[in-house]
Amino acid sequence: MSRWDPRWKLAAILLACGATACLRTPAAAAAALGIALLLAAISRIPPRRIAARLALIAVSLAPFIAVLPFIEGTTLALVIGLRALAIGMLALVLLATPIERVLVASQSLGLPGPLVQIALLAQRYAHTFADEFHRLRIAWRVRGFQPAADAATARTLAHGIGALLVRSHDRGTQVSHAMRARGFDGTFRTLAPCRTTVADVLGSVAVMAMFVALVVGEQR
Amino acid sequence: MTALAVRGLSHTYADGRAALRGLTFDVQAGESVGLVGPNGAGKTTLFLRLAGVLAGPAGQVAVAGLDPAIPAERKQLPRQVGIVFQNPDDQLFSPTLFDDVAFGPLNFGLPPSEVRARVSEALAAVGLKGFEERSPHRLSGGEKRRAALATVLAMRPGVLLFDEPTMFLDPRGRRELATTIRGLPGTKLIATHDLDFVLDVCSRVIVIDGELLDDGDAKMILADDALLTPHGLEVPYRLKSRETS
Repeated sequence: MSRWDPRWKLAAILLACGATACLRTPAAAAAALGIALLLAAISRIPPRRIAARLALIAVSLAPFIAVLPFIEGTTLALVIGLRALAIGMLALVLLATPIERVLVASQSLGLPGPLVQIALLAQRYAHTFADEFHRLRIAWRVRGFQPAADAATARTLAHGIGALLVRSHDRGTQVSHAMRARGFDGTFRTLAPCRTTVADVLGSVAVMAMFVALVVGEQR
Repeated sequence: MTALAVRGLSHTYADGRAALRGLTFDVQAGESVGLVGPNGAGKTTLFLRLAGVLAGPAGQVAVAGLDPAIPAERKQLPRQVGIVFQNPDDQLFSPTLFDDVAFGPLNFGLPPSEVRARVSEALAAVGLKGFEERSPHRLSGGEKRRAALATVLAMRPGVLLFDEPTMFLDPRGRRELATTIRGLPGTKLIATHDLDFVLDVCSRVIVIDGELLDDGDAKMILADDALLTPHGLEVPYRLKSRETS
């Protein structure tokens, strides 16, 4: 499934997420989670990664799920929990395809080009930004900085974040220079065009049909 | 044939800082020229003006006969002049090395087969064949430097501008880069503080510090302590030991 044309895959997953968000009964939401897990298995996502993702969502939702039964009832709490797990799993299935291919596909589906370029560059420079933050933390540590809940710590953190933002701005300027020097005119071009096969279409339509069937089945 | 013609080039930034004042020099096709000066001398500004990235008045610069101040000619400049930037992280912005090297040729509108051939050729020229699918941020410092060079070589420019090419390199990386640069065809202008590197690669040196200070034979100029020291530079160790022996 990670080899599917990312445009079809993105369209199918987006529709599946939308359909899942509309489900109102625990049985349908559980079925959605079941299908999402099946898709994750077909995508050959390692079981440990699936378990980690489910655990992360469960922990994030725990405060709401704990309170919700007392306010809205147990059924709604269960539906919300299952829907969140299913959507989280669908996102994992989507990201089994390299993120840059998903972003390029999203441009084919109508996402504005500048937004796609910003996302691609952000994805590339997140690592560089993390490296710079790591160096900053070392620089603090070697000069004896011990974080505490006081004004001095807040000031130091603010200065550090400010320095990172200034460096990011400088880097943005340099990257812009490098892109223009190589003939960039605002249009992002790629050599990896999306190719659709019959299997991609059939697979995507099958995924869409299953989730639409869950919504329609619930209405009856 | 003149590859670069600079005539009375001045540049002042929006904050009023004058980076360059009345620079005039020529570089002939095929020459390797070292551009030497202290921090803030205007070396990077000069490169950005030559590549048409920074705007300026017409008539001050001609690269392969093209004036960056004229929009129609500026559009053709990336085919004629390539810059290898000081920090390779600024130049390697794509998810994979293949995408990065293909970026320039794709912007030229070349057919896919030609783009693939150029990427393959450029990566082979810098010894990075087989690195196509690697993520640029995972490369070592020396590999990043060579990858940045490949991104420019794929555009096959006649003029190559290197901005502090030996920065972040260990001695082996520096040695490899000197060999690579010496083997490259075309006109080369190398801005650096690494005067030993200039001696290895260039036969001519231009010294600037906002304005042109000297222009001539590399060994003569780089041995001139009275010229270099007041401008924050030092005679290379190799030339010093020759003087003392």
